[in-house]
Amino acid sequence: MTLFQLAWKNVVGSAFRSWVVYLCVLLVTGLLFSFALLIGGTRDSLRLVQQRLGADVVVVPEGTETEIESALLMGHPVTAWMPRENEIKIARVPGVRTVSPQLYLASLANAPCCTAEMLVMAFDPRTDFTIAPWLGQHLGHSLSAGEAVGGSDVFVPYGEEHLRIYGSEIDLVGSLERTGTGLDTALFLTFETAYEVAENSRTEAIRPLEIPPESISAALVRVEPGIDPRVAALQIMNEVPGVTAIPASGLFQGFRRQIGGLLQGMLALLGIASALSLAIVGLIFSMAVNERRREIGVVRALGATQGEVLRALFAEALILALGGGATGILLAATVLYLFRDLIVVSLAMPFLFPPLPSLIALVGGGLVAGCAGVGLAVLFPVVRASCLDPAVAMREQ
Amino acid sequence: MVWLDGVTKTYRLGKEGMVTAVQAVDLDVARGEFLVITGRSGAGKTTLLNLVAGLTRPTDGRIVWGDVDLWRMPDAQRSHLRNRRLGFVFQFASLLPSLTVAENVALPTAFGSHRREPGAHERASELLRTVGLADKRDAYPRQLSAGQQQRVVIARSLINDPEMLLADEPTSNLDAATECEMMALFAEIHAMRGVTILMVTHAPQFVPGCARLVEMADGAICARGSA
Repeated sequence: MTLFQLAWKNVVGSAFRSWVVYLCVLLVTGLLFSFALLIGGTRDSLRLVQQRLGADVVVVPEGTETEIESALLMGHPVTAWMPRENEIKIARVPGVRTVSPQLYLASLANAPCCTAEMLVMAFDPRTDFTIAPWLGQHLGHSLSAGEAVGGSDVFVPYGEEHLRIYGSEIDLVGSLERTGTGLDTALFLTFETAYEVAENSRTEAIRPLEIPPESISAALVRVEPGIDPRVAALQIMNEVPGVTAIPASGLFQGFRRQIGGLLQGMLALLGIASALSLAIVGLIFSMAVNERRREIGVVRALGATQGEVLRALFAEALILALGGGATGILLAATVLYLFRDLIVVSLAMPFLFPPLPSLIALVGGGLVAGCAGVGLAVLFPVVRASCLDPAVAMREQ
Repeated sequence: MVWLDGVTKTYRLGKEGMVTAVQAVDLDVARGEFLVITGRSGAGKTTLLNLVAGLTRPTDGRIVWGDVDLWRMPDAQRSHLRNRRLGFVFQFASLLPSLTVAENVALPTAFGSHRREPGAHERASELLRTVGLADKRDAYPRQLSAGQQQRVVIARSLINDPEMLLADEPTSNLDAATECEMMALFAEIHAMRGVTILMVTHAPQFVPGCARLVEMADGAICARGSA
């Protein structure tokens, strides 16, 4: 028999104690893992949106920045307009390399002329640097009139061949990778297609799509190498009236603040839950060790060294920590994976389930944190038990 | 084999102050001897046994195994001595409830340098046959009577072929008939295996005739004789 087998037998033999410790560890690691996964998923999601936009500065009509950020993050339809001549004014600002205009439109909900309510983003293929590179890489050609690519959650309904937007039939020719944000439910098409849809909507839709003439919703800006986007944004706002220029690093600041508060609350809850659970684990182990003083004395009398008693007791704690930790992590991962879309909607926060390597690192980290927490919680009773005078341990029962 | 030189053990007992359990005891235990320590409750018999085994540190005096002072050894060496050279039979139920009978018997082989030695379970089975419990090897302690449990403890005490058995009132929880049987078993082990036995008992009438008797009172040895 090995010390590990002895520890395992003790774990199995003390069902109540083992279950309590197991459940406490499950709770702590499950919460810890969920929290890490949420933070990581939100961070990855925000990073991907910024990458997808590919802009150093986003210029929007003054006062609409919150709505547009909300549209980009959560897919909430938005209507915001500024004169198209702003594109030329922005391009003239020193340090600006490329300007690409975008139209943000909304399809109709519960209307026979529209497949679903979604954010429709139109881009100018001549200047676009957001969708065009993806098209070149994955389709090998740019979008023709009547074609669109969608976010990962956009699909043609079963039994139909096209998407319907304001009565126009749109071919979905590709799907972008998941970002965990509103961009996953957005449809991307060219200005030409958008204007065609608007034109057709006068006869084909229950309500026409209005695109004010010579207007755009936003302008995505790339700056020259070596130019600080924050400086460029300030210059744009100085030289182009009626717009707000947001450097990429400043995008979603309102959201970050809002979610920061939420995460702080979650962190506080997590801290309290972890502290309580680990205190319970420590207490349970302390009680168990007291209950088993005579047993520990006997084991010492039979020739176990202090180190062996210490290792056997730590092994018991480790078995429960690994078991509870693995279950907690598995449960948390399953729940977050199954309800990832619900999280995006109900918590109004972007969330991207991490790729496998990150997930493995998180699982490993969660298990290590669970074991370390339990190790700390049981340290005092275990060390005290191993240092007991065997004769005293056997006498005091 | 082992000798005690002026050994004293004092305990601190909460607010009651200090209690001297063993007072300046000199004792020599020879190899192959059957030594019985008797005395009334609280005379210091169990403490003396624990001192011999290195289970508690003497307040004063020396316990010498061979020619080495037990308390000059590091914990690992003292534990090794207990594991390899001593077998224990306790007064109380000392089987681990989560282990089967065979696993309990083999338990001492889980410690120290034994861990990778094969054949522990075969030896455990053989010892269980010796104490008449071969059919109980897969039972749990709670499924055994008090007498059967003590037989298992005796089997466990022999698993490492010890030089000395330390038995602390091994029959105190048993009925008279079982007590007599157990004493016969100890006598058999002593005769057949040549194991030195140091036994604390309140019932010296059952011990074999070859035994040397030591009587304790108030922590000191007050009489020496033979059974």
